[in-house]
Amino acid sequence: MTLRLDHDFLTKLEYLHVVSKRAFAGQHRADRLAQKRGRGLEFADHRAYSAGDDFRHIDWKAYKRLNRLLLRLFDEEQDLPIYLLIDISRSMAEAAKFDHARRIAAALCYVGLAHLDHVTLVPFAGGLGREINPGRGKGRIFRVLQQLDALDAGGTTDLAESLKQFSSRRRRTGLCVVISDFLDPKGPEDPVKMLSVHGHEVFAIHVTSRHDSHCDVYGEVRLLDIETGRTQDIDVTPAAAAAHHRAFEAHAAALAQFCARYRLGYIRADVSQPFEDIVLNAFRSGQFLA
Amino acid sequence: MSVAAMAGWLLVAAAGAAAVGVFRLKVRPRRVTVSSLVLWGHVLAERRDQTWWDRVRWAVSLVVTVLIAVVLAIAVARPLMRARGQGMGRTLLIVDSSLSMLAKTRDGGTRWEHAMAEVRRQAAAGGEVVLATTGQGIVEGPTTDLSLIDAALDSIHPRSSEAGQWPRLGQADAIHFFTDGALARPLSPSVVVHSVYEEAANIGITAFGARPATSEAGGAEAYLEVGNFTSRAQPARITVTRGTAVLVDRQLDLAPREVFRQVIQLGATGDPRLRAHVKAQGDALAIDDEAFGWIEEARVVDVAVVSERPSVFTALLARDRSLRVRGLKPQDYQPRGADVFIFDRWAPADPPVAPALCVAPPTVNWVGVRGETDEALPRWVPVEPHVLLAGVDPLTVDIRKVRRYQLATARVVSASDRGAPLVAVRDDALSRLVLFAFAPEDANPEVAAAFPILTGNAIEWLARPHLSEPGPPGPRLLPASTTRITAPSGKSLPLVQTGDGVVAQMETPGLYLVEVGGARSVVVVNVNAPDVSNLATTTLPSSAGPLRGLTGTGPWWVRAVWLAFVLVLAEWWTWARRITV
Repeated sequence: MTLRLDHDFLTKLEYLHVVSKRAFAGQHRADRLAQKRGRGLEFADHRAYSAGDDFRHIDWKAYKRLNRLLLRLFDEEQDLPIYLLIDISRSMAEAAKFDHARRIAAALCYVGLAHLDHVTLVPFAGGLGREINPGRGKGRIFRVLQQLDALDAGGTTDLAESLKQFSSRRRRTGLCVVISDFLDPKGPEDPVKMLSVHGHEVFAIHVTSRHDSHCDVYGEVRLLDIETGRTQDIDVTPAAAAAHHRAFEAHAAALAQFCARYRLGYIRADVSQPFEDIVLNAFRSGQFLA
Repeated sequence: MSVAAMAGWLLVAAAGAAAVGVFRLKVRPRRVTVSSLVLWGHVLAERRDQTWWDRVRWAVSLVVTVLIAVVLAIAVARPLMRARGQGMGRTLLIVDSSLSMLAKTRDGGTRWEHAMAEVRRQAAAGGEVVLATTGQGIVEGPTTDLSLIDAALDSIHPRSSEAGQWPRLGQADAIHFFTDGALARPLSPSVVVHSVYEEAANIGITAFGARPATSEAGGAEAYLEVGNFTSRAQPARITVTRGTAVLVDRQLDLAPREVFRQVIQLGATGDPRLRAHVKAQGDALAIDDEAFGWIEEARVVDVAVVSERPSVFTALLARDRSLRVRGLKPQDYQPRGADVFIFDRWAPADPPVAPALCVAPPTVNWVGVRGETDEALPRWVPVEPHVLLAGVDPLTVDIRKVRRYQLATARVVSASDRGAPLVAVRDDALSRLVLFAFAPEDANPEVAAAFPILTGNAIEWLARPHLSEPGPPGPRLLPASTTRITAPSGKSLPLVQTGDGVVAQMETPGLYLVEVGGARSVVVVNVNAPDVSNLATTTLPSSAGPLRGLTGTGPWWVRAVWLAFVLVLAEWWTWARRITV
């Protein structure tokens, strides 16, 4: 499948700003202010001069008036590390879901690149896949699209192992966007919480589809788990289908409740919703974009 | 059990077994790929608690499925059963069409409706069917087409208070008789009797009639008989009217099984129509609540004597108060001027509208050809018995001469010893006439009794056709000259020519106006049958069985198909809603 983002959509994305609830320290100057005082252009405060400070920052006008050496402090503009963790397990193999997830990743990636943020695409399934570092600048988006297009869904979902591997590598703390259907037999809560513990801002994007939430086939059926290959014979009655739907909704609600409790971002991105609406409206209402 | 029947039952059993087999058959489930079985695990955990209920539903569904298969197999096997019936021969279904079958039953129907339902059930059992009634004989069949039988059943109804004739069929392997047993009939032991009898309370008129009074005062008298055929006393209101005048209007308390009788004196003149009516609470049969009478003598007959010397006959008939006699010269004759004409030695060129007594007429087309020579001193020889000759003593008739007539269609009732007709009658659709071949002057009318009696008889026969005694509802044979019958409802009845008469169906009590060769008479039809009115007893043995319901009048196999359809619907609905498995 070839991912395409039309020009209007890309133009709209440029005006969106990725907001982080915290300011992150970065190695490169970007559009966001870091708490760290440094070499920015925007004046922040004065402090007393101490040995070793850069003479160039001494406010000579203040010395003339106060007869004290004061240093001018500026807010340093730093880039935001954005890690887009995209689930490529077989449970995401449903064309609509996988496409949806990749489009979301592409859109977020574009926003980050447009604002000179450091964006890293991290595919995962049973473990981490090869990370994609497109660099800076929105011109790199086409390379990102190519690499997203080249992704194949496969393997079983193991969020715990994947995020453990992610956390175990030395990297700057930043915004971790986990794009997944979160259908992990071990549960998604602990791995996601682990990211938060490591200092990352975590945002969960729950990709759902009608195929997952509803069962439209009745009668004696043999269910085949696409990831594990396990089968289960079941007589799907309307009551059973309703119970399955309830279980799915409970699963989604539990994830949302967990994210709310630990102040993690959560958005449910159903494939039935138009992709543009999700990015422009649903993300805004979810306080992901501003 | 025949081979065909055994094959039918085998088919039913096989269908049931096949249904069980198919129901238990484990079809390969469809494979459905899901993203994860995690959520389905929760569903399965919930469903384990409902296993016992699933078993109940499975059992119910199995029973319903087998039932559907068996019912459909039985409906399909019907042709086999029918084939068995055809092999065995014909079934004669005889329905008792006596009027007591109109009695109401406690379920709101009538005995007749119960009989119709029973006949349909029996006809649907298969085989070749012949339908007959005790009143009409065979009305349909032999046929295997149930629609023909249905149509015939819709066309028949109770029509007679008499037992009627037992229908005969050359080859009938089974005879079924549907009756309430009100009228006793000798039945062969091979006849299967289906009883539609149910005891019912009834009050009805069992006799009503009028006749001339025997007293010298003249007039007439009516006789009324009302029976209470219930096991308890009942009040009843009896009314008798003559025309519009009420003769009797009384309330009676009739004891159980009591029969009330009354003779009512009637005046010589007045309306000839009589009507009796009884009204009571416990009254299951309506047709016997009304009876009618007719006082023939109360109607004055207008007689016109057309002659150059009419005084001979006017003097002869002047003493009869039921006649209004007048003499006319031939030039004053009008074809519609009287109820009866007497043409004395003269006749019009065309026949009159009214009946006529022609006395030695000249040659005219509508009477016959008069001979040229006279026959002297003929001797009276009766040719055939006829009402005209009632009371006529041939020995007292002294005829001096007679002229021989050539009559085309007339019946000679009296002739001379040499073959010359003396008295002839004609009764056909064209005319109704009596011919005297001799003139009064050529006989001895003044001194012999025979001639006035003969003349009176002729006028009575012409003006007041004596059709028959008051009879029960049903078919009635009338003279061939009958041209029209008007029912009490005002409608004309259809006439069926049979041999030397016509037959008309007079099915309801009342006064039927009959036009016979220009004369008009009235036929009285009454039930007047205690056997019909008595609904509390039956001649059937108790083994004939109780009254069966009216429901399910269609063929049973159609109902079976409907039942299967309903079961399929129920199974589909419950399956769709997963109420059953």
